[in-house]
Amino acid sequence: MLKRSRELIQAYQQAPWRRQMQIIGFIAVGLIAVSLVGALYLNITARAATAGRLVQEYQRDISDAEQKVEDLQTELAFITSVELMQQRAKELGFEPVLPNGITYLSVPEYQGRPSGAQLAPRAGSRFSPEARLPEEYTLSLFDWLAGLFAGLGGF
Amino acid sequence: MPREHTWRYIVSALIFGLVGVLILWRAYGLQTSAQAAAFLNQSEYYSRLLKTIYPPRGEIYDRHGNLLAGNRTVYEIGLDMASVEGDGRPIGLALSGMAGADYNRVLEIIKLAREQELVYAVAVDYVLPEKVDLLRAYNVNLPPEPEDSYNCSNDPALAALICRPHLARSYPERDLASNILGFVTQDTNGNFGIEQQYQDLLAGLPENIWVPTDPNRVQELPQVPGGASLILTIDREIQAMVEDVLDEHVAKTASESGTAIVMDPRTGEILAMTSTPRLDLNRYTEYETIFDENKPYNRAVGQIYEPGSIFKIVTMAAAIDLGLVTPETPFLDTGVFYYGGITIRNWNGQAWGEQTMLGCMQHSLNVCLATVGSRVGQENFYRYVQAFGFSYPTGIDLFNEGSGTLRTPDENGWYPADLATNTFGQGLAVTPIQMVMATTAFINDGKMVIPRMVKAVVQDGSQYNLSPQYAGAPISPETAHTMTQMLTDSLEFESSLALVPGYRLAGKTGTAQIPTEAGTYDLNQTNTSFVGWGPVDDPRFLVFVWLERPETSIWASEVAAPAFADIVERLVVLMNIPPDEQRLAIVSEGN
Repeated sequence: MLKRSRELIQAYQQAPWRRQMQIIGFIAVGLIAVSLVGALYLNITARAATAGRLVQEYQRDISDAEQKVEDLQTELAFITSVELMQQRAKELGFEPVLPNGITYLSVPEYQGRPSGAQLAPRAGSRFSPEARLPEEYTLSLFDWLAGLFAGLGGF
Repeated sequence: MPREHTWRYIVSALIFGLVGVLILWRAYGLQTSAQAAAFLNQSEYYSRLLKTIYPPRGEIYDRHGNLLAGNRTVYEIGLDMASVEGDGRPIGLALSGMAGADYNRVLEIIKLAREQELVYAVAVDYVLPEKVDLLRAYNVNLPPEPEDSYNCSNDPALAALICRPHLARSYPERDLASNILGFVTQDTNGNFGIEQQYQDLLAGLPENIWVPTDPNRVQELPQVPGGASLILTIDREIQAMVEDVLDEHVAKTASESGTAIVMDPRTGEILAMTSTPRLDLNRYTEYETIFDENKPYNRAVGQIYEPGSIFKIVTMAAAIDLGLVTPETPFLDTGVFYYGGITIRNWNGQAWGEQTMLGCMQHSLNVCLATVGSRVGQENFYRYVQAFGFSYPTGIDLFNEGSGTLRTPDENGWYPADLATNTFGQGLAVTPIQMVMATTAFINDGKMVIPRMVKAVVQDGSQYNLSPQYAGAPISPETAHTMTQMLTDSLEFESSLALVPGYRLAGKTGTAQIPTEAGTYDLNQTNTSFVGWGPVDDPRFLVFVWLERPETSIWASEVAAPAFADIVERLVVLMNIPPDEQRLAIVSEGN
């Protein structure tokens, strides 16, 4: 009886090589899953690091560009300084004019040279970006629903 | 698997397990050890760098937006001490030959850095890009270092050099308006003028931030707002013209120094201001050789002097405002006036006989004005003098403004004789800018306008325009009109050298003897000045000229008045002011 039972169990038992294959399969699946997650993590990390480096480079580029702008602005001012402009005018044959060498003409509606430079918008007069945003961007859900019902009520 | 081999696997597993446990145990020990906090700090320290972001210094523009003070790139050349070979002689040679550094100083820096075990040391700073280009191309056999590299040179001997760019102040107009602008030294501090007055506003606020070295934790650098930019009231063309004319007259009259101010008297905006000497602001290190201890950087606001007859306008204005005299009030000039124990005489020592108040001003008679001053009385006189702003700073936005000296009857050391001498500008001291501000009362219906240098401030992308400020009204509008008429007539009647054909001008000369250390006056040297404005019916400019100790003549009418006329002659062209006749015709056409 006992022998019969053992035979039956053995008959319905998985073959040892099958069980080993299953274990190996599970381990392989686990390893693949871990590798995939690891690869994904590494990929994301590497891309984030690359992006980080790019950000640092762009920040440096911005700084360089700002310096360049300052340099060019100052260089332009050197080139157009009073001394050099006067020298250039002299070389071109111009000479300073005195009051008796000028004929003044009345030009209607000419306001003359502006009395001061305007290098930036006046304080308080700057364009407000919020004011130009479509209301869809600022509308709350409640507002939208209220508007919807108000519209329906109109029918 | 043979059963006899099983123990090997068990032993291996135990060994690996034990190692794992030991690693975990050690890790736990490190995390909870006494040094854990130190290790944590150390890792934190290396995970980020402290970076100070200096905002670019704000620019300074003239009223039309021409750049007067900007920024340009210069380089700090540092040494990576780990890469410095030997005693650093090749580095010393290269830096002294190409970057203008001192050879011995560079070697000394290397030696000191080694002694102090520094990893980085600054060898030389504020090196111009042209010189850095020389360094970059030092080794001709190798391609030069690219411009965006921090390495200065590809030469192996100079591998330790690190070039870091940064901004430094630059003045495109060189010495133009140098008395106004001041300059910025390598410590980034403003010195004198606008640069020092508005140091905090121009410099902005540097910000210290921690920058992570781990690129995964990189963050956007904060936008540090730059320093505010300033738009000055000065007009660089007028400034250049005034400097040229002043230099010409200082040379022509062999004067010790010269000062000139041009102002829009309606708004207090200074259109030009200069004094001698001046400094090329890009070479500010020459300051100490150009300005010795006794020379103020800007005489127009920092130097006090006895104004002399130019001050008679204050005395006469006080008398008219009190109703004591009118331009037609007669006066018999006997040539002497005794007051407070001293004898007052006229500038030529002579009696001028029958005069009116207009004649007194026209001939600048000390005897007449001292008499008028005595009738005004000490209390009223000093009240008016102080109401005109004398003995107080005007409030002009320039660094180191003087306030003058004035003794009043309630102070020790004041004598009655002081009243007599003060009436014609002796025994008191004023600054040129005080004299200018006082004169604006005659132009603005009795109100004085505070002189100012800054027209607008540009900050955070917005421009803030500043409005004129007034400093009280020492006289009534009627007195102001009467004084204007008197000073116009007195110029025309004496055919002054200050007159400019086609333009009605008002003004007054001032010839003042110079007090000596002995308490007397130098009879051979004078301060000559002139203040005037025009066109009289629609004042657009006020011009002040002061020539100190001229040698060709001691009289302001012969020295300062022509300088005033020369300035006005060119000024009306630059300001597009037609001669009165044409201007009035154009105005009537427009109406």
